[in-house]
Amino acid sequence: MRVLASRLVVLAAALGLWQVLSATGVLRSDEFPSMTSTMHALWDQLTTAQLWSAVRDTVASWAIGLLIGGGSAIIVGSLIGLNRFAYQSVIPVIEFFKAMPAVAILPIVVGTLGATLQGKYVLVAFGVFWPLVIQVIYGVRSIDPTVRDTATVLQVRGPRRFFVVTLPSAAPFIATGLRVSAAVGLILSIVFELIGGGSGVGVNILNSENSGPPAYPLMYAYIFVAGVLGIVLAGIFALGERWVLHWHESRRNVRGAGR
Amino acid sequence: MSSPVGRNVTDAAVPPRPAVGRPATQPRRRARGFWLTRGLRRLAMLWLFVVIGVVWWFWSARTTSPFFPPLKDILHQLYDQWIVGDAKKNLASSLQNFAFGYAIASVGGVAVGAALWLARSAQEAVSPYLYFLYVLPAPVLIPAAMTIFGIGDAMKVAIIAFAAIWPTLLNTLDGMRGVDPLKLDTAHALGLSGFRVVRSVVLPAALPQIVAGLRNSLQVAIILMVVSELVASTSGIGFFILNAQQSFAFVDMWTGIIVLAVVGIVLNLLFVVIENRVLFWHYGARATEEKG
Repeated sequence: MRVLASRLVVLAAALGLWQVLSATGVLRSDEFPSMTSTMHALWDQLTTAQLWSAVRDTVASWAIGLLIGGGSAIIVGSLIGLNRFAYQSVIPVIEFFKAMPAVAILPIVVGTLGATLQGKYVLVAFGVFWPLVIQVIYGVRSIDPTVRDTATVLQVRGPRRFFVVTLPSAAPFIATGLRVSAAVGLILSIVFELIGGGSGVGVNILNSENSGPPAYPLMYAYIFVAGVLGIVLAGIFALGERWVLHWHESRRNVRGAGR
Repeated sequence: MSSPVGRNVTDAAVPPRPAVGRPATQPRRRARGFWLTRGLRRLAMLWLFVVIGVVWWFWSARTTSPFFPPLKDILHQLYDQWIVGDAKKNLASSLQNFAFGYAIASVGGVAVGAALWLARSAQEAVSPYLYFLYVLPAPVLIPAAMTIFGIGDAMKVAIIAFAAIWPTLLNTLDGMRGVDPLKLDTAHALGLSGFRVVRSVVLPAALPQIVAGLRNSLQVAIILMVVSELVASTSGIGFFILNAQQSFAFVDMWTGIIVLAVVGIVLNLLFVVIENRVLFWHYGARATEEKG
């Protein structure tokens, strides 16, 4: 209760300071809109289709790109992780692509596919693939030798082995990778909108900026929406991780230590 | 760039870290031949790069798509533009903005994180807002930064610094909060000065996590370096790539992409090398612990 009160005080103080700085002219209105006008713009937008269709377009392209890139990362990573030679050969290449900023391929994507949804999927999938595939490989390699040998002795093979033994062992690593990838994916879909165009939250931010000072409150309202989007998507992954991995040792320990 | 095989480098909560150089568990003295075969084996593991290069070379020599010019032309142009030509300016401009932005973010992140650690009552009051700024996809701030700073290096440095500060700040705070209270009490009982406590107790205990934060900040800074040049700019590698694409100079575009990839990899490698130097005692201790 006391914590919540202190948080609300901080929020009120920050918003109040913002308004005072705008009113006194420290923040020039042609550079930075006032708090009340920004809140007003945000409130107005909440009831329009413009906001919600932009949110829908950004989230949809993020989700589909993540599905394509993440799905292929899990399949490819699991296969590579099974073989020591493949693993050793592929890791340097993956490290190379992981260290390269994924936005570098954006001009190729925009050039070949244009500012289309497909282009966005490709960029998001590409950026999401590398950080996740490396986690999947390490996850598959980290399997407990006792578990692995037991599975072999019990003759658990094929798809059953993959779903019952390999995937659960790798799950905590995959979860970490997915959390990172989800954040990367959101950044990439917004960058695509800022540079390539199309539709989405990024496009609306850039359009507001181009419309000049009267539209700046709108721009900050959309920036706020992007932040909320980041929190919601990160929150979904954190909750999902806790829900899916509740059985895992590391989770049980965390909960035990928390008491 | 290879990792010790079969050794689980991290616990589940932390993404695995590629270890470079000598693993801490290696006994000190080895025969010279050992290092030679080891080096050869590592070199052999780069064969996939060679295969990719060869495939790219022959495939691109045949294809007629303008977006995928022959690798031979790209390499020629790479030399002409970036080694002897004028494109070097763009590289310098990018690296300069990156260096300033990342330096501000690192120093600021550690300083503010440490200050927040000291101001215990403020921590919980501001933590949701720090988290909001941390998860905010930073590129959305570029248009806003343009209205304040205009188009130029100041805007780029500001946006890199603002985006990259949060991982370092939050990890510094977290690392310092994790310092064993017993150690702090011992330091107080020994009558150590505040400065000594920070230097001998707090910093060593928090350093691994601070470094983890700095590593995340590095990724963010590199991304924002490029994106800030793509959105509105007249210099930098990102500008070079986008400009080449828009003027249909696809060979130039590919050279820019290659330079950008190399920059990303070199910066990451540099970080790992420095990290292994600074934290050698930490990885050594952890390897001993793992051995039992």
